[in-house]
Amino acid sequence: MGCGRVGGKLAGLLDIEGHNVTILDIDEYSFRRLPPEFGGTALVGNGTDEDALKKAGIEKADAFIALTQGDNRNIMACQIAKHIFNVPRVLCRTYDPLRQELFGSLGIETFSPTTIFAQMLKERLLKAKPTGEKKAK
Amino acid sequence: MYIIVVGGGQVGYYLAKALMDEGHELLVLEKDAARTAFICNDLGSVCVRGDGCEMTTLAEAGAGRADMFIAVTGEDEDNLVSCQAAKHKFNVPRTVARINNPKNETIFKKMGIDVTISSTNIIMESIEEEMPTHPLTHLLDIQEQGLEIVEIKIPPHSPAIGKTVKELSLPAGNTLSLIIRSQQKPFVPDKDTILEAEDQIIAITTPESEEALGTTLRGS
Amino acid sequence: MEFHKILVPVTGSTADDEAIRLACRLTKKKNKGKIWVIYVVTVKRSLPLDAEIEPEVKKAEDVLNRISNVAENEDYEVETDLLQAREAGPTIVDEAVEREADLILMGVIYKRRFGQFSLGSVVPYVLQNSPCEVILYHQYTP
Repeated sequence: MGCGRVGGKLAGLLDIEGHNVTILDIDEYSFRRLPPEFGGTALVGNGTDEDALKKAGIEKADAFIALTQGDNRNIMACQIAKHIFNVPRVLCRTYDPLRQELFGSLGIETFSPTTIFAQMLKERLLKAKPTGEKKAK
Repeated sequence: MYIIVVGGGQVGYYLAKALMDEGHELLVLEKDAARTAFICNDLGSVCVRGDGCEMTTLAEAGAGRADMFIAVTGEDEDNLVSCQAAKHKFNVPRTVARINNPKNETIFKKMGIDVTISSTNIIMESIEEEMPTHPLTHLLDIQEQGLEIVEIKIPPHSPAIGKTVKELSLPAGNTLSLIIRSQQKPFVPDKDTILEAEDQIIAITTPESEEALGTTLRGS
Repeated sequence: MEFHKILVPVTGSTADDEAIRLACRLTKKKNKGKIWVIYVVTVKRSLPLDAEIEPEVKKAEDVLNRISNVAENEDYEVETDLLQAREAGPTIVDEAVEREADLILMGVIYKRRFGQFSLGSVVPYVLQNSPCEVILYHQYTP
């Protein structure tokens, strides 16, 4: 759900590996981000709408991933996938670290790109520091 | 009671006003600066600008001591998320959410929101009541038990006219609880009560059997 | 310039002393005018409005006592009031309306927020909504 840069990229990667991928976005124009050789299904629809999810085949899905720009939309879609359609694996992107924490504790597998990326940058930066200092001396 | 209302649109604003008149301590959380200023100007310092889904905003708003949390924004996902935050992070005893898309009622219930109010359903029900041809009107859902209370009017050519309640063979689990007959006091029917045309009946039924009940009382 | 009823909101800053002296000077002589000194304790929403916030109330009382003494040295007797509210701005304006003040006189000091000069939110609110004249005494702080 959500065909942005990450969604489009992920859909392409999974498709190449031979998985059966359906991508959902409210804007058809977003599908330009899919690789030209994408062999899955691209559907226009709202991922928080049960009927749109059914149309996308959620009842048979093994995994559901929410990657729109809206934290709340992602959380709601994932809760519908998990609690109404019993999708075995549900992943949710949540920019807000606090919301990630809360809904993580409520049983949704959530990722906060904010936390992950800040942490990664910090590690990179600090790892490079000792060599830089030596050179300066 | 201390009540937090998320969303200062038309619904939130009038709700806040009404609850304040009842003497409750109240706070409205509204994202838009101009709308916040308008509410503060009109109702006093009872509106704070902020996102009702942000934990820090909720903490500052005193969600920890709130007795009730009502989310009435125009976005269902925002209402769902803020109510869950209030419930699970701040242990607010009672959470109420407005639902804009009636399809979302199930997920709200599943996620433990205490009360859901679907404006679309309310409008539909009011219209139902005004439709003379509609077989039955929903008066109340008793969600925990899976029961509903409905009103049915016996039409002039109904097969139920002249029969006793016992003879009707109502669907299992259905009860006729009150009959309103013109020029009489409403009364509770027993198994020997004979139904008449134009009787207004208040009945308890289930979502699965309401159609069968309608057929029994009104004919097909 | 002369005023009859002056409302002086104080916060415990160093500008308060000078503000009250100025208020004494601007009031009608021979104690015909009235000066109210108010301190608004703002209560966070996480607490009920009538919560007893000891340290803050104590600080407010100390400030009000100190300001009373400053006024006494100017031969003026002022009335002091400690108020508890959610927001200072609207409370100051409400008090001015209720007491029919003809002047609000406030001392402010140079404040920086995120490295920028800032008047905070209370002063602009009062300037915008005041029912009467407002004088700001802006203390020079190098």
